[in-house]
Amino acid sequence: MRQTFLLSLSLLLSAATAQAQVDSVRASTLPPDQQAERLYNSGVAKFNQKSYRAALLDFDKALTARPDFAKAYYNRAAVRYELKEYQPAVQDYNQALRLDPNTFTPYFGRAQAEEALQQTEEAERDYGKAAELKPDYAPAWYYRGALRFERADYTGAKADFDAALKADAAYAYAWHDRASTQRQLNNLPAAIQDYSQALKLQPELLPALLNRAATRRRAGDLKGALQDYNDYLTRKQDNALAYTNRGAARYEQGNYKAAVEDFSKAVELDAGYAFAWNNRAAAYLKLEDYKKAEADAGKAISLNKEYAEAYLNRGHAREMLRLPDAACQDWRKAAELGLEVGLTHAANSGCGAE
Amino acid sequence: MHKYLLAFLLLTTGAASAQSVEFSKDRFGNDKDGLKAAQKEIKQGNEFYDMDPPRYEQALGHYLAAQKFNPSNDQLNYKIGDCYLHSGFKPRALEYLQRAYQLNPDVNPRIHYLLGRGLHLNAKWDAAIAEYKRATPATGTKNTAGLVQDIQKKIRECENGRKLAAKPTRVFIDNAGPGVNSPFPEYGPVITADESVILFTSRRAGSTGGNTDPETGGFFEDVYQSTREGKDGWSAAQGLGDAINTDGHDATVGLAPDGQRLLVYVEDNGGDLQQAELRGTEWRKPQKLGSRINSKYHESSASYTPDGRSLYFVSDKEGGLGNRDIYKVEIEGRGPAQNLGSVINTQYGEEGVFLHPDGKTMYFSSEGHNSMGGYDIFKSVFENGKWSTPENLGWPINTPDDDVFFVISASGRHGYYSSFRDDGLGSKDIYQITFLGAEKPPVLSQEDQLLASRVQPVKETLLAPPVAIVAAQVTILKGVVTEEASKQPLEATIDVIDNSLNQVIASFQSNEKSGRYLVSLPSGVNYGIVVRKEGYLFHSENFDLPAGSAYAEVVKDIALKKLDVGVKVVLNNIFFDFDKATLRKESTGELERLQKLLTETPALRLEISGHTDNVGADAYNKDLSQRRAKAVVDYLVTKGVDKGRLTFAGYGDTQPVAPNTTKAGRQLNRRTEFKVTGK
Repeated sequence: MRQTFLLSLSLLLSAATAQAQVDSVRASTLPPDQQAERLYNSGVAKFNQKSYRAALLDFDKALTARPDFAKAYYNRAAVRYELKEYQPAVQDYNQALRLDPNTFTPYFGRAQAEEALQQTEEAERDYGKAAELKPDYAPAWYYRGALRFERADYTGAKADFDAALKADAAYAYAWHDRASTQRQLNNLPAAIQDYSQALKLQPELLPALLNRAATRRRAGDLKGALQDYNDYLTRKQDNALAYTNRGAARYEQGNYKAAVEDFSKAVELDAGYAFAWNNRAAAYLKLEDYKKAEADAGKAISLNKEYAEAYLNRGHAREMLRLPDAACQDWRKAAELGLEVGLTHAANSGCGAE
Repeated sequence: MHKYLLAFLLLTTGAASAQSVEFSKDRFGNDKDGLKAAQKEIKQGNEFYDMDPPRYEQALGHYLAAQKFNPSNDQLNYKIGDCYLHSGFKPRALEYLQRAYQLNPDVNPRIHYLLGRGLHLNAKWDAAIAEYKRATPATGTKNTAGLVQDIQKKIRECENGRKLAAKPTRVFIDNAGPGVNSPFPEYGPVITADESVILFTSRRAGSTGGNTDPETGGFFEDVYQSTREGKDGWSAAQGLGDAINTDGHDATVGLAPDGQRLLVYVEDNGGDLQQAELRGTEWRKPQKLGSRINSKYHESSASYTPDGRSLYFVSDKEGGLGNRDIYKVEIEGRGPAQNLGSVINTQYGEEGVFLHPDGKTMYFSSEGHNSMGGYDIFKSVFENGKWSTPENLGWPINTPDDDVFFVISASGRHGYYSSFRDDGLGSKDIYQITFLGAEKPPVLSQEDQLLASRVQPVKETLLAPPVAIVAAQVTILKGVVTEEASKQPLEATIDVIDNSLNQVIASFQSNEKSGRYLVSLPSGVNYGIVVRKEGYLFHSENFDLPAGSAYAEVVKDIALKKLDVGVKVVLNNIFFDFDKATLRKESTGELERLQKLLTETPALRLEISGHTDNVGADAYNKDLSQRRAKAVVDYLVTKGVDKGRLTFAGYGDTQPVAPNTTKAGRQLNRRTEFKVTGK
C-alpha cells in the first residue's frame, strides 16, 4: 500500500488518504509572473491523469522558471517515484528538504524511495523524521514499524505499530502487523486478538486469516487454526501457500492422509513450490511410504539446491529404503546447510567419518 | 471379554457347529488303509507324547501325518497344538488349539490355558488375557497356587507386551545369510567388537564326529566362524577345529572383544564354562575356568569385561535371588563371584549376559522385570556405582517367546541373536538387528505473509525437538603390529594405561600370526597405549577421549623398531603445560618407561629432542622445544640416569613429520622424541 502525495500550494495534505492529493493554485493568490505556478498546476493535473512523462516535463519547466520552488521538487520526486526512477527521486526530495526542512512529506516520500533502493537504514531514519514532524500521521509510524520488523527488532516495531494505532485506530494494516509482531514476540493471545481486529476492520484482509491460523496453531489451538484455514480456502482456492499451511496443520493433527491431499493441491497449483513438495515428503514418511517420500524430497531439492529440510527428510526416507550411504550424505548436507540435527542423525546412524 | 473371545474363535475357525471326527471305521470305512496308517501315526506320536519328559517335536511329525488324513479330530488338534507350543514354531499352535476347542470345548481341562499360550505367543494380548482368566482355577481349589501364580505372571506379560508393542523399537532385522545360516539350527552368535568376526553354534550336517543326539535326533553342536565380507555379508562358515569341536556338544558362550579368547559351554559338572585362546590361526584346547566360576550347578553364559580382567556369568547355583542369576568375578582375583543384586536379578531366570565394549552397558535376558513372555532382552547401565533399572529392548526384538543370547557391536549399531522367523533358511537362524534409534522426525516448512504491506512471506521451519546423540561412547583401536624392517607381523604386548592414574588398566597381545590387535577404549579417560616387545623399542600412542565422546573406530598399524643407532621414537605420552616446558603429571608413565629402557640397556645413549609446528616465531619455537627436551633429560637425571648418556636438542619446526597445513599434521609435528645415539 504505497502512498503518493502531490502537494498543492494552498492546502495541507489529508494524511489519512492514500491517493494523490491535488489542488490547483488559486489565481487570486498568484504573483504577477505566474509561469512556474501554472506549469506546476499543469504537472499536478497530468500526474492525476497518470501522464507521468508529461507531468515530469511540466515540473522540470516549473523548476527552470523558479529554482527555489520546493513543492515542485517534491512533486517531481513523486512523479519520478512512479516512473521507478528512485535515485533521481531521492535527489529531488533532498532539494525539497533543503528548501523546506520542516515539512514531513518529503521525508516520508524520500523514505519510500530509499526503501525501493533497499537503503533500509536511511528509509527507517526518514520515516522516523516524518513521524517526529507529524506524530498523528499513522503511515510514518507504520512503515518504520515494518522496517523494524524486517530487521527483527520486534520490540521497536511494536512501539511503532502502537503509535500508528494511536494515530489511527481504524488502520487495519497496523493491527495486522502489530499482530505479527506480537506473534514473533510470542505474545500469542495478543497476536490472535490483533489479527481478529484487523479482520473486523477489513474482512477482505485474507492474509490475516492465514496468520491467525498459524498463530492459533502455535498456541495449541489446532481446531481454531483449521477453522481459519478452512475459512480462507472457502474464500480463496488458488493459494498454494494456504494449502501448504493447512496441510502442515493437518500433519500436526496426525491426519497425514489429509495433509497429503493439501500438499498435493498445493503442488498442483504451483509445481515450483518447494515447501509443498518437502512437506508432502514428510507426510509420506509418516505414512511409511518411503519411495514417495524420497521422490518428493528429491523434487524439493531439485527446486532449491540449498533446501536443508528437504535433504534431512530425504535422508530419513533413504534410511528406511536401506540406502544408508545416501542417507548419511543427505543428513550431512542438511547439516552443512544449517540444520545441525543432520549431524546428530548421522552420528546415531553409524554414518562414521566422512 | 468372554463374548469377545467367543466371537474371535468363531471368526477364526469358521464353522462353529463342527463336531469332532473320530478315527473309526464308521467314518472312514471306505479308506481302511488310510485309516490304519493314520492310526499308526497317532500311536507312534502318542509314544513320544506320553514319555517323561515328552518328546514333543518327535511326536509332532507323526501327528501332522495323521492330521492330513483327518483334520477334524479334537484330541489330535489339541495334541498338535500342545506339541507346537513346545517346538521352535510355537505360534503355529494357535490354529490347532482353536480348532480343537471348536470341535469340542471340553477337549481337555487345560484347553483354556493352552489357548492363552497360543494367543499370547501370537501377540494377541487381550484375547490371551481373557483365556488365561478362564484358565484360572476357582478360588479354594486345592494345589493350584503354582498355576495361579503362573497365570497371573502371564497376564502381566501380556499387559507388558501390549504396552511395548504399541511403541515398537525401530530396527531392521535381517537374516545373517547363507554364509552363517544353514537349514539346520544356528544360534549363540558372538562377535568381535568391530563385527569383523562372528562365531556361533550350529547343529548342521558335517559336525565333528558326525553323530546325532539320541534325545533330539539332531546333530551335535559345533562352533563355527565366519568373517565379514563387504558391508552386509559373511564368508562361508568354517568349523573352529578339533581343539574346540569334539564329538559331543560344543557351544559358543562369549568372545573377548579382540576375538583372541573364546568362552565355551561344556556339559561337564552340571554344565560348565571353559576358555580357549587363539594362538595364531589355531584355537587352543579350552581350559576350565576354576571353581570361583564353575560349580556343580549350571553355568551357561558369560561375557568378558573390555579389559579382559573380569567375567560376568550366569549360574543357577544356590544362594541366588531366583532361578538363574548373573554374577561378576575377577578372573585372576581371589574373591568369590558377586551376585549383581536385585536390580538385575529377579526371582525368575536371567540368562545370556553380554557386556558392551564400553564396559558399563550390560545386555541380558530375563523372565522377570517387564518381560512380554519367556525371556526378554534387557539393557542396564552401570553409572555412579549402581546398575540402572533394566530397560526392555522392546518389540519386535523381544517377542512373547524366549529371546536370549544377544550380543551387540561396539558401535551399538548392530545386534545379533538367533530366532525362528519366516525368512529363515531352516530351523533357528542367526539374525542381525540394525538399531535405527528413535524416530527421526520429518521436518516441515511453511511461510506466512506476516506484513500486510509486504509481498515477501516469512519462512518458518517446523522442527521437532532436538534429538539426543545416542551413539556408543567407545573408541575401537585396531590394527596390525609389525616389525619395521621386515614388515613381518609381531606378537607384542599392548598396554592400555590411564594416564591420569599412571596405571595399566588392561594388557592384550597382538595375534602371533597376523599381528592383529583390537582394543576397546571407553570414553572419559586420557589413554596411553604402549606397544612393547622384548628386543624392540616401545611404541606409544595417546588417545584422549573425554566423557561423551561418540563411537569411533581408529585403525593404527604399528611398526616396532629394533634398538639401533639412529632410530627415532616419538614419545606420545609426554605432556607439557601450554606454552611452557613444565612436565604434566600424566607424563610420568612414559618417562618411567624411558628410564626403564635406559636402566635395562646400560650402553644406550639417547638424544631427547623437542619439535614444534610452524605456528609462532622460529626463535620462540626453537627455544620452547629445547627447554622441553631439557625438562625430559632433567627428569631422567633426577631419577638416576647418568647425565653423560643423554643429550637434548630443540629443533623447533625444522624437522616436521607431516605437513603443517592441517590441524592433524601440526599435531603430529608438536612432539617429543628420542634418537638412539649409541648402544
